[in-house]
Amino acid sequence: MTSTSSPMNPLLVQFLSESRDLLESTGNKLMQLEDAPEDPQIINELFRFVHTLKGNSGLFTFPEMTTLLHAGEDLLGMVRSGHVVYSRELADSLLEAMDFVGVLCGDIESSEHIDASRAKDSLHMAKALRALIPSLTANGDATQAAGANAPTSKVADALASSADDQASGLLPFGIIPEAVRMAAIVQCQHGEQLHWIVYRPQRGCFFNGDDPLNSAMLAPGLLWGRIILLEALPSLGGLDTYSCLLGFELLTSGPREELDQYYRYLLDQVEISAITPQWLMNGQSQVSSTAKRVEPLSESDQSALDQILASQRQILLLEDRPAWHAGRLKSVAGVLANLCQAIGDNLGPTDIQVALDDALSTGHNTLLLAWIDVLVHNMSDTRQTGLPDSSEGIVSEQAENSPALESGSGKALAEDGVKFGRRAEDALNGSKSLRVDQAKVDRLMNLIGELVVSKNALPYLAERADSQFGVRELSREIKGQYSIINRIADEMQDAIMQVRMMAVSFIFQRFPRLVRDISRKLGKEVQLVLEGEQTEADKNIIESLADPLIHIVRNSLDHGLETPEVRIAAGKPAIGKLTIRAAQQADRVVIEIIDDGKGIDPAVIKQKAYEKGIIDEATLERIGDQEAINLIFAAGLSTAAVVSDLSGRGVGMDVVRSAVEKINGTVVLSSELGKGTTICISLPLSMAVTQVMVIESDHQLFGVPMDHVVETVRVPKSAIHKIKQSQTAVLRGRIVPLKSLNALLGIAAIPQANSDDELAVLLVHAGSTTLGLLVDGFQETIGVIQKPLNGFLSKLSAYSGSALMGDGSVLMILNIREIV
Amino acid sequence: MPIEFKKNRAIFRDEVSVEEAEGLLEWLQTKPTAKADLSVLSHLHTANLQVLMAAKTGISSWPRNAELRAWLEPALKPGK
Repeated sequence: MTSTSSPMNPLLVQFLSESRDLLESTGNKLMQLEDAPEDPQIINELFRFVHTLKGNSGLFTFPEMTTLLHAGEDLLGMVRSGHVVYSRELADSLLEAMDFVGVLCGDIESSEHIDASRAKDSLHMAKALRALIPSLTANGDATQAAGANAPTSKVADALASSADDQASGLLPFGIIPEAVRMAAIVQCQHGEQLHWIVYRPQRGCFFNGDDPLNSAMLAPGLLWGRIILLEALPSLGGLDTYSCLLGFELLTSGPREELDQYYRYLLDQVEISAITPQWLMNGQSQVSSTAKRVEPLSESDQSALDQILASQRQILLLEDRPAWHAGRLKSVAGVLANLCQAIGDNLGPTDIQVALDDALSTGHNTLLLAWIDVLVHNMSDTRQTGLPDSSEGIVSEQAENSPALESGSGKALAEDGVKFGRRAEDALNGSKSLRVDQAKVDRLMNLIGELVVSKNALPYLAERADSQFGVRELSREIKGQYSIINRIADEMQDAIMQVRMMAVSFIFQRFPRLVRDISRKLGKEVQLVLEGEQTEADKNIIESLADPLIHIVRNSLDHGLETPEVRIAAGKPAIGKLTIRAAQQADRVVIEIIDDGKGIDPAVIKQKAYEKGIIDEATLERIGDQEAINLIFAAGLSTAAVVSDLSGRGVGMDVVRSAVEKINGTVVLSSELGKGTTICISLPLSMAVTQVMVIESDHQLFGVPMDHVVETVRVPKSAIHKIKQSQTAVLRGRIVPLKSLNALLGIAAIPQANSDDELAVLLVHAGSTTLGLLVDGFQETIGVIQKPLNGFLSKLSAYSGSALMGDGSVLMILNIREIV
Repeated sequence: MPIEFKKNRAIFRDEVSVEEAEGLLEWLQTKPTAKADLSVLSHLHTANLQVLMAAKTGISSWPRNAELRAWLEPALKPGK
């Protein structure tokens, strides 16, 4: 997965942006601590930051980061409890660690994973941090201290009989079976890099779910391995089964990166060392012998040796097996042994004897041939360096890279600090996203809104310049300027909307878990399908959508989808399907929640609604199925026979409806009995600008949100009929009740007809009904920033808010649902 | 059961997990002379191995799985 081809997991994006913040705060607090090293509050906050960071990193598989942060947390914990005194070195190493975490964040951002090569640095830094914790460094061995209960490798025990060899950093080469050792030497000489791994599991590792034996057995490229005791095993009575006392020694041919990757979670418990063939051959033996062998071999000696070795090889490669074969082998071995002595290898002859015995008993010359290879190799080494230094047979990575390990001192840390500090600077390009307080964005949006409105004053001004002052030239110029400002303002508005846009995946991403948990609880099997997660809408809309959606999904799972048995009995697949689909339609976001469950029986709903007094008898008879199932949104209706903790308390769907309507959305339910239910939520893309139609009534202007407007018609007075007290008209084949806006608002005036004796009718929907409002006239549709009414005015439920018009006048926005 | 406890013999089967270690330890404490039959064992959790090592339990038959045997034999062989 690369960040270019597919969008990054939103959770990860959030993690990265939060981590950056936390890292920055941590840095700041550390700086503050410099001035006030004793301030417990700062230390507390620091601890909290690092703790949060660590916790967050644990959500993902970034052991490198978690390990380091864990060490940091421990150290700060000690500082907090007063066990460690704050020092500049401490701050330095913590800052470096944080810089390194920042670098890791950069890695994650660019490639979504941390390169295995970072693990070593991370472990190293973690150890450096732990080295600052005094109670552990008192052990004198930071490596061991990193393990929970410092195991000691020098315990005399039956299995690890070669404890001395380990202590001196040399392979107990006698322990490796001869055949394995020889094969390994050959492998080494063919240019493969072998590694020696000492794996000392933490005592408490079983609790982490580790199985050290398994981890050891599955090590990549394992050639050989054995079990060692880290501590003498107690008698059965004193044995704690959950405390690991075993360790492992492994010889592998796996490449370093693969080993690092394999042991990435256990890096503080394993020591991986690269080994050379010499080390495999004779371990410690050459340490003493090399000291004598300072003089390089002369050219002539060298070529003589080469010749001898070549002829011995030829002898060994002879295919025939004459009677004197054994004697031939012995003579080869003798020559080789003498050669060894000649170049100062005192222990070589013993090994050659072993190889000879093997060749004599098995009839295979492999081991002897291997020895020739070894000698050739040694020669060439001698030639190249002039000083064969086989005491360096084991190349300890730790000795090379981590002076801090041995000393744990501030100086060593400081050296590292330079290195990591530079690295952090290299990666200073930082994050491309900016976290801004929402209030600031809101303020900007309000200001842009005001600009949009006040620019509307310019056409009025142009008009006045022309008609009132008679300067047509100026009027035209104002209009020209207006069009420019208009374009910029529109773009600004668009831009600020983009800032506030959020993908619905923000809510969707919690559904897989929710659906899984609930369906598990209910014993149902559900397949969740999410579609259109990239659909965007305003942040407020998305946020206020979360609760209603969860409610609907719960309801669908609880009441809609059936258990597998019921489904099979009904001839449906056992696994139910729940689809949540988001899509943008014009300036609205439509979210559909579709289940293929049992559907809703309108008869049941009608009956329930009647029983609970939500509808009267007449309505019960009259309403159609579609209307009936939408009664589910009425307050106080619950259809579940049993109230569960999930749903069924009858507070669900009406809450959903009011939540959706609050953000100017609509919710419609359709259902087919036995087939399933679809709930469709339609929401505006943005709440900032509302499109309103301006209407005139009794010489006053009012705004009606376009969401409610169906159409505008002019109806001749003669076409209006009176049925009892109500006026009605037939529009497009439907009887539509008509109401006078003046009457609804308590204005004592009758609707004005135009010159053709027609009345202006604004068809609106209010909930599920459509009706005509009699008004005096229609004006244009404008986009306004709707402001809620404050103070006493807020009690006027007839209006949903007010807006400022271009000429500075105030437009009242009607709350259609309330007034009809 | 991954470990079948007979009269004086424990038969280890398939994969023996960390959960078995406690029970194994208790059983071995009551039967110090018991033998372990590992022939059909495919993997042994470290915790169990540790118990067998501490108890110096005799092995009546080694795992058929050669790789596992190579690991266990040096650790569990008597006299070592």
